[in-house]
Order: sequence, then structure tokens, then C-alpha cells
Amino acid sequence: MPAPPPPLAPLLARTALGDRAAFRVLYDATAPSLLGVALRILRDRARAEDVLQEAFVNVWHRAGSYRESASAPMTWLTTIVRNRALDVLRSEGRHGADSLTDDEDGMRDIEDADGDPATLLERAGDALAIRGCLDAIEGVQRQCLALAYYRGFTHAEVAAHLGSPIGSVKVWLRRGLEKLERCLERKA
Amino acid sequence: MSYDRAGLLDALAARYVVGTMAPRTRRRFERLRSRLPAADAAAIAWERRTAPLAMVVPPVAPSASVWEAIDRRTGGREAGSERAAAAPGRAWWSWLVPVAGLAFGVLATVGVMRSDPARFLPIDEMIQQRGTLPPSYVGILVDAAGEARMLASSTRHGRTMSIKVLKPIDVPAGKVLQLWALPADGAPFPVGVVPREGKGAFELADTSEKLLSTVTRLAVSIEGAPAAAGATPGPFVLQGHCVKLW
Repeated sequence: MPAPPPPLAPLLARTALGDRAAFRVLYDATAPSLLGVALRILRDRARAEDVLQEAFVNVWHRAGSYRESASAPMTWLTTIVRNRALDVLRSEGRHGADSLTDDEDGMRDIEDADGDPATLLERAGDALAIRGCLDAIEGVQRQCLALAYYRGFTHAEVAAHLGSPIGSVKVWLRRGLEKLERCLERKA
Repeated sequence: MSYDRAGLLDALAARYVVGTMAPRTRRRFERLRSRLPAADAAAIAWERRTAPLAMVVPPVAPSASVWEAIDRRTGGREAGSERAAAAPGRAWWSWLVPVAGLAFGVLATVGVMRSDPARFLPIDEMIQQRGTLPPSYVGILVDAAGEARMLASSTRHGRTMSIKVLKPIDVPAGKVLQLWALPADGAPFPVGVVPREGKGAFELADTSEKLLSTVTRLAVSIEGAPAAAGATPGPFVLQGHCVKLW
């Protein structure tokens, strides 16, 4: 995964030392991408911005625990934001119709920006030259992966969205992930 | 349930990272992760594998209030009012950090943007601090009306193309904005997919020097899907010179 410029690892290191200017540059360089990820899961700008805020307060306090050897800076930041967004999503108990209707506020933000989760996954394949890996994943498995990763759907929600039994969804997702893993490791 | 089985642990970690676990299971896995290094390692591995998927999500510029709240909550306002006062001024140009001062150089030289010179002062100061501009390939793409809409830049020997969209571009749902390189003596070839607004970066197939040394122009078309090598571009919605900055 390419590290987007400016180099983030030194910024994180300086943030850990309490360098506010570095923290600000880190925020400016990464916040738009991270907000995009949170918005996609939460589908509500205010809640997504709350998540972004919480995540960066967390980053300020936890930057010292970042280990460059374990993950790339953007991976680390994305994980913090995704986990918090998923926590908010789950804590709101929005499982059910609410999450599956496409008319919520904030939807426009997302739909305007680009297509559906499946399209994003396609684009990820091209952007990262792992198209072969994704092509190896059958359509429905790929759809499960996209809904789960980009929208934060649970197994039950993916099942409801696709009109398929939850048992099938679990199997599809599992197989999709296994194929992705095998292929990515071959590439690595 | 035994958590000793690596396969099971790996499957749980995958579900945790992708996000399909129910809340209670999620909490349970987090507790497990905090006390079992193998669980933590499995989750980190999946975070690394899936992270590329997040990179194509279009960026969305946060409201100014987000940073203000972060700054306040991390002691910025109290810690230094002078720095806090300077922050809003820095916000608008901070996107230029990826291309650093070179953007200023190009904007000033090419004269694409007419702006109040005072607005560029922070960058000018930055250039003075840096001393030199990195050798880079830079393109400023304009629309049919001649208005600058996108800045593309990549350091000469780098493999990352940075994109800044100066003004959002209308793209129909399900379509993508494809960046093309137009060599002086050859067919256009696809470089990557660019965002419709905000900024982004993507990895190039090779170094800029290898890909762009004979490229004189860059262009953007709207495509149904990211273009594969050898594809023919649709009508260009943006075009511009690709210049060597060294």
C-alpha cells in the first residue's frame, strides 16, 4: 500500500511527542480520506464527523503506541476510524429497515461521489492491481465483501439486503475473504 | 470454544476486521485480542490486507468545526492561542503539502490562477524553509472553458501520483474519472482513477520518470469503469500540459 504523501510515519512520531503542527498536517493529509470511510459506513455526515473527531483525539493520545513495523500509518488510522464507526453503527441498534433504506440524509453525499460498494471494490482492484484477486471471487461473494467492508453490514444485514439466507451469506463472505487472502499473499 | 485453532482465530479476526460481527461478539473479540497476542496478530494481518480497500473511497472534506473541536479537546486552544489563531490560515494551503512548494512555483509561473499574492505567502515561506523544490512531473488540467480544475503531480522518481481537485467535477453515478497520459508520439494510456473532488493519491504502475518522460499532456475522461491498459479513452473533459519541474 503506497503511503500517501506527505510521509505519515514521521508525522505520527512527531505527534507522539506532542508536536501540534505535525498533528495538524497529519489531520489535513488524512482526514478527508478517513471521513469518506466513516461516511460510507454511517451514511450521516454529522455522525461521521463525530467519529472523525473522536478518532483524532484518540490519535493525539495514542500516537505513541503506533508501531510502524506492524502496519502502515494509513492502515492504522483507517482501522481506528473504521472501528469507531462500526461501534457507533452497532450501538445505535440501527439493524433493520433503517440501515437498508436508501433515502437517509447524507445518502446524497455518498451517491454523488461515486457508485455502490460493488463499484468501489472493482475500483480497488484496479487501483491496486489486485484485479485478478477480485475476479477470482464469484459475484455474490464479492457483493457480500463490498457490503460488509464499505457499508459495515452485519451478516444478517447482508442477508436481508441480498434476500439470501444468513447461512449462505456467512459461507460466501468466508470464501470471498479466503480467496482474497490467498491471492494477496501470492502477490506479496 | 477453543481459541487455539489458528484457522478459527483467523476467521474470527477476518469477521472482526471486515465488520460483520454482531456487537456482543465484537466486544468479545476485542477482549480476546487484548489478552491473546495471536488474536491481535491475526486482526492486524487482516487490517493490513483489507486496508487497500479503503484507499479508493472518495475523500470528503470535513467541516472546519471538526478540527476546531479536536484542537480544543487536545489542549490546542489552551496550550497556545497564537498557534490556534494561525490554524485557519494554514488549513487552506495544507493540501499543498504533498506537492509542497512546487505547486506554488507552477501556479505562479504558468499563471493559471489569478489570486491575491498575499494568499500564497504561507507557501512562499514554506519554500524558503525547504530551500528547493523537488524534481517533479506536474499537470494542471483545465476544462472546456479554460478553468483550472485539477492538479496532478508526482515526484520524478516516485510512484505516487497526487491529485488535488480544484473544483468538483460532475460525474454520473456509477462512472469514474480516468486520468490519461498523452505521449508526444504515441497513443494515450491510462494512469489511474482520480477523485471528483477533494484530494487523493494513487500508486503508479512504475516511476513517474519511466511513465511520463515522453508525456506532454494529461487528460481526464469519464468512463464506465477504470480503463485497462490498451483501452481507448472517451471524450476528454479535462486536459492540460504535463511539465517537468526541474
